Amino acid sequence: MAQILLRNFARAGNAALLTKSSNSSSILATSAEPGNCQLHTTPACCEIRKLARLRVVDNSDLGKRAMAEGRPPRCIHVYNKRGIGLIGDKVLVAIKGQMKKGILVGLKQKQRMKQPQFDSNNLVLIDDNGSPLGTRIHVPIPTVLRTILKEKTLAKGADYTKVLAIASRYV
Amino acid sequence: MNQADVSKLISQLRIAVRPNKRHLKNVDGPEGRLLKLRKTVTALVKHERIELFYNRADEARGYAELLISNAIRHGDRHKATMELADYWLLEKQLVHKLFKVLVPRYENSNISYTRMFKAPRDYPGIFYRKSVLELRGNPFPVLTPDNSQNRNLLHNVLLDEARKEFRREKLANLANKLAAETENATPSTPAQVPVTEQPEQSEEAPKA
Amino acid sequence: MNINVRILTKSVAQQYAFKRIVTFSTKPTQQAAAAAVPQQQEVTGSTVRRPIVPAHYRFVYPEFLPDPKVEWRNTIREKLERLDMLDRRRQIELPEFYVGSILAVTSSDPHAAGKTSRFVGICIHRERCGLRARFILRNVIDHQGIEVVYELYDPTIQKVEVLRLEKRLDDSLFYLRDALPEYSTFDENMEVESLEEGAPVPVNDIKVVLRPRPWLERWERQNLLGVANIEQYIKDKHRKSSEKAQKPWEKYDLMKQYRATIPEEEQKEIFAEVHTELHTLELQRKRNKRKRTFVKPKHLA
Repeated sequence: MAQILLRNFARAGNAALLTKSSNSSSILATSAEPGNCQLHTTPACCEIRKLARLRVVDNSDLGKRAMAEGRPPRCIHVYNKRGIGLIGDKVLVAIKGQMKKGILVGLKQKQRMKQPQFDSNNLVLIDDNGSPLGTRIHVPIPTVLRTILKEKTLAKGADYTKVLAIASRYV
Repeated sequence: MNQADVSKLISQLRIAVRPNKRHLKNVDGPEGRLLKLRKTVTALVKHERIELFYNRADEARGYAELLISNAIRHGDRHKATMELADYWLLEKQLVHKLFKVLVPRYENSNISYTRMFKAPRDYPGIFYRKSVLELRGNPFPVLTPDNSQNRNLLHNVLLDEARKEFRREKLANLANKLAAETENATPSTPAQVPVTEQPEQSEEAPKA
Repeated sequence: MNINVRILTKSVAQQYAFKRIVTFSTKPTQQAAAAAVPQQQEVTGSTVRRPIVPAHYRFVYPEFLPDPKVEWRNTIREKLERLDMLDRRRQIELPEFYVGSILAVTSSDPHAAGKTSRFVGICIHRERCGLRARFILRNVIDHQGIEVVYELYDPTIQKVEVLRLEKRLDDSLFYLRDALPEYSTFDENMEVESLEEGAPVPVNDIKVVLRPRPWLERWERQNLLGVANIEQYIKDKHRKSSEKAQKPWEKYDLMKQYRATIPEEEQKEIFAEVHTELHTLELQRKRNKRKRTFVKPKHLA
């Protein structure tokens, strides 16, 4: 019961998030129903922690459908010791009732000097081997990711550098 | 902050400025503080010398200084300065005083426009320190005692000693001269006597 | 000891720069002007000790003025920083720009493919002073708003170009984050729009259209001049609360203003110290610019 309530709230909040995604089509969609975008249950959180809403920026089917529905994925675990996701970190997300892994490729949080800070928290979905679900990332990604993802790829484990291969543009 | 505000140019104050303001506890917050200080500044411009608590005097002093320096800087044709004067001086004839009396008075001065003294605190009374705040060049008698005539002041003691020594030296010189003359010409002594007395009298005159 | 060495090297460098102006100038009149100005200043410097500094210097080079916070002042550190800033300015052209100007910054980036990255964007904020002076650029690329913070005196910056020199109505343009994306979208391959020499910097009085709430900040409280439709989205409660948050007495708070600025006498002293050097650099830059514009047709043909 509580879960359903939460989902409804989340749905309303997601509509608000969508307006921030600065996609012209989504702005048109939300401005058609102004009553919906006024309601949001939580303030915009710049940190990626558990239950933070993210934006899928690759063209994977799952991600596209989730974003189009206005139910963006929520982070349910961050794979590092601090519990707060930084750029290039792997996160576990709940997306359309499934658990998927993803890599953070752009954050709203304050970044270091010369590193870009994005208007939304961007995520690229990957599978367990590190290969992305989509075939293209349609927003720019920071160049630091090259170094970070290379460092994170160990000989035995997953190969995260495949994410870099589908990037369309670097900033 | 981290960057200086460059939109306005302000002349440097000739008084020591505290790094932070005093809050001067007020129920109306920062606005109330200014409204209160406004009364002090008005009183200062009106009476030219006021006695009040030290903290408030010190805060009001900066505002009064800046008001005068702005008035000197921009003159009475400047709209913003006029607005400032209008805010800070509650009685409107004081605006005229500011531009017509105080500005000419301080135009060429290169020291601060106000003076502040610590005043004694009456004993069983409020704990706060008191002070006297005044505009320079006011018509009242000066507050600081004039110590230049005090005989115990070190300068005066030294001057006295120097004067005495000078006199002693002169007398010794005269005595030597006299002795030399008596040795040279013994019969002409009566003619020399009045000459020796005269300088002694002239020496005594400044002492009295 | 170190300071002495620095000052010596500075004076040597000045002489050297002075010589260079004489030998490599393209136009005789300009050359004469360039040679005359430092000479005059040297003369006045020896007699009056204070060359006349243009009044606009405090807007063009605000980072040369120290932080007015008294606890953080340190005259020796400030002086050394100014020397370092001049050293850096001799190495790289750091042009005049304001909040609202469109810049392109090329910086070395060990992570990028060509080891350099170029970012074009509108300057939405300038802050801090001395060697720590920095600015924020914003652009929308592929419908994704991106902001990058650069330090002005960062040694890894290779080039700073001003693509369009203009001012906006407000001191900082953070509201572009909540505006429609087209207001912060700028083409990466933008051409440099040059201004006429000596013309005042134009003020772009464009009014930005905001997205509906929720916003990142309470823009209705900030008395913004560059926003068109703020009234459209605020309700009575916002109006009331913003009225409550206003501080109309602050414009009369003289001591607050005094504590937030560097007094005029001090400003004069600071700019007198760096004016000669900055002026020489400016003239050099102008000459280079003219050279470049002269060379350009050759490449096309």
